[in-house]
Amino acid sequence: MSNQGYKTFKGGIHPPYNKELASGKAITPAPIPSELVIPLNQHIGAPNNPLVSPGDRVKVGQKIGETDAFVSAPVHSSVAGTVKAVEDIKNFTGAMVKSVIITADSDQPPFEAKEMKPLADLSADEIKQIAKEAGLTGMGGAAFPTHVKLSPPKDKPVDSVLINACECEPFLTCDHRLMLERPVDLVEGLKLLMRAVDAEKGVIGIEANKMDAVEKVRSAVSAEPSIEVEILDVKYPEGSEKQLIAAVTGRKVPPGKLPSEVGCLVQNVGTAIALYEAASTGKPLYERVLTVTGHAIKNPSNFLVKVGTPISVLIEAAGGLADNATKLIMGGPMTGWAQEEPTANVVKGTSGILALPPDLVDVREEHGCVRCTKCVEACPMYLMPNYIVDAVQKEDWAKAELWGAIDCFECGVCSYTCPAYIPHVSYVRKAKAQIAALKKR
Amino acid sequence: MANNKFMTTVSPHLHEKGQTIDRAMKDVLLALAPAGVWAIIVFGFQAILVMAVSIITAMLSEVVVRKILGRKSSLSDLSAVLTGLFLAFLLPVTTPLWVVAIGAFLAVGVAKELFGGLGKNIFNPALFGRVALMISPLWLYIAKFVKPFWYTANGVNWFTPITTSINNGVAGRVVFKTLAGTTKVNVVTSATPLSLLKSGRMLANTVSGATPVGATWITSSGRPSFWSMALGLKAGSMGEVSVLLLLLGGLYLIYRRTIDWRIPVGVLCGALFIFLITWNHPVYQMLSGGIWLGAFFMATDWVTSPMTKRGKWIYAVGIGVFIGLIRLVSPLPEGVAIAILIWNALTLVLDRYVAEPKFGEIKKPWFNRVPVLPKPKPAAQKA
Repeated sequence: MSNQGYKTFKGGIHPPYNKELASGKAITPAPIPSELVIPLNQHIGAPNNPLVSPGDRVKVGQKIGETDAFVSAPVHSSVAGTVKAVEDIKNFTGAMVKSVIITADSDQPPFEAKEMKPLADLSADEIKQIAKEAGLTGMGGAAFPTHVKLSPPKDKPVDSVLINACECEPFLTCDHRLMLERPVDLVEGLKLLMRAVDAEKGVIGIEANKMDAVEKVRSAVSAEPSIEVEILDVKYPEGSEKQLIAAVTGRKVPPGKLPSEVGCLVQNVGTAIALYEAASTGKPLYERVLTVTGHAIKNPSNFLVKVGTPISVLIEAAGGLADNATKLIMGGPMTGWAQEEPTANVVKGTSGILALPPDLVDVREEHGCVRCTKCVEACPMYLMPNYIVDAVQKEDWAKAELWGAIDCFECGVCSYTCPAYIPHVSYVRKAKAQIAALKKR
Repeated sequence: MANNKFMTTVSPHLHEKGQTIDRAMKDVLLALAPAGVWAIIVFGFQAILVMAVSIITAMLSEVVVRKILGRKSSLSDLSAVLTGLFLAFLLPVTTPLWVVAIGAFLAVGVAKELFGGLGKNIFNPALFGRVALMISPLWLYIAKFVKPFWYTANGVNWFTPITTSINNGVAGRVVFKTLAGTTKVNVVTSATPLSLLKSGRMLANTVSGATPVGATWITSSGRPSFWSMALGLKAGSMGEVSVLLLLLGGLYLIYRRTIDWRIPVGVLCGALFIFLITWNHPVYQMLSGGIWLGAFFMATDWVTSPMTKRGKWIYAVGIGVFIGLIRLVSPLPEGVAIAILIWNALTLVLDRYVAEPKFGEIKKPWFNRVPVLPKPKPAAQKA
């Protein structure tokens, strides 16, 4: 697939998307497991302290973890039940994270909606407060606390709020389904985001492989003169924050800066809808929509899932794994985390669970770089991925920084297109850790 | 289900289909095929022998040198096959087979493997092999050219072996060894279009029109016509003669995105620029020698060309300009190989110092400065 003539960014790749596996499947609630593991730290920022101890009863939506730090998001119970333990559990990246283990009641009452102010009367500060209380984070993967994003520096006014509805990761369809099924909620969420940062313009950027969603969202915004739907080229990583801003507005966020530098704010479809829910009913972020898919999943599905659900439960609900399942991935195929066993638990940032058969798993021994420049051409940040790898191999961290290690957001296009099968991302992560450690001293 | 462990690797978990080293090498081999077939048609069975000896020696050199150095075999990436074919393309069909073998060893065994293997070599291996022969005492053996379809002369045929003879340390004549065992010295030795130009004979209208120093079939006023030069009816190294077939292969590689279009465009424009400002037979020059083979197949070598767009432009135009200057100023008739090797050596400098702006970088510096980081403690280095 090549360019389709819509707005886009420079660089990137055209992987096979395989979205048809799940894009036709309506969102259904996933089964509630008997035991859930809710990590207290699901976001980028300061860790939460537990508010509950073993034996405590918890209600749906009850806050169970919090901290005073600004860059943080509280965590809520996704079920009614009893706290079994609070202990360190391995999360999907393999890190040990303090988590609350909850035994769910067999009878789950629905969430009790709270009395909220009418949406139209909410002030910017009130919206930020709602986002913080509801524990909102970005739901595309990185899970940055939403209220922090909604508080840009005073001297950097935001004029445009962009909704990242690209869903450029292959296989995933949860944002697509949300747009088809809840376009009005999305637009209401966007309006709240615009008011929170006093932006006059809202843009919903959708890739051209979701024209049915474009139609639905367009009719939902027909009465909103300040909101546009922008169709974008189908290209990975179109949904990366900086690339989306460049495609839609032509503005380029300088290296090391945030989107507010160019007057933009980007939020994901799921986050906008979660903000709408939080503002209208007081519902915190304790469940999310995710896609269970891949050619090695018998019945690919889009589920509404309680945070803390073990992924084995979801795989079972999607018909189980095919016998030839070779790789199990939490997240999308480009940036997700490979799982050795289906034991991890869903967090706020989990957008999908993917099981790949052997023919899609092309893992080979790493060859030395042959300097073909495919990685340089594909890199959406215009970095030198192969030279970063070279610098890391020589432990020359200054060179690693020169070639752009800290500007890399690990989209993986370099390795995708590398004929030498070099795993650039693992080298970049090593470089980032070393450079950060050296700068701290 | 939980008993089986799944494969764990770092993201991304997808890889572009068919994006492998050997696929790229196969692409280049395919792109070279038309010019290779043409060489066999116009230069006879001996062309097959030269290619076969070059490829087989290249592969053997790789196996043996890697074995000695304790490296794993890498024949399956096909780069040795490609280097062998490239070297054959750079030699005249009259090169004795043992000289071809030495060249192939120098290319793969020395220029590639001793520099560290595919990816680490500084110089294009085939060009290194060619130039190493050229500056060695063996140069006599690669200095004699024949005209296309030489085998249509009396007493010889397509299968007739052909080689360069050396008399008293002087490059002598091209000799035929017929099946009958007799050795004939014939008159098919030919000047290449560029050696004609260098010796000034091209301009002499008095050269007899019937066999205009044997350079080509099609002639106009004593010199090879542009058409014959473009089609490949001229004397030269085996793979370089047909401009049109090389262009065809080059365009295929650009279409396949195996090579970057900037490099051939830069090389051709750089050379044309020099021939235009000096008004030195620009069309004749551009249709002569190894310019097209060099621009599309040699200068575009992944390993020995720069990584950045700016670097590629400097490198490519630099090669073009150097080709022009070597042809015009130096005593050598042809400069493609040397121009490319010089810029091969400058490639790492271009990569290191020519800065490419990152995404969102407004000021675009042209020179890289390395950021200063605190030196790690010896203990930290181990971690």
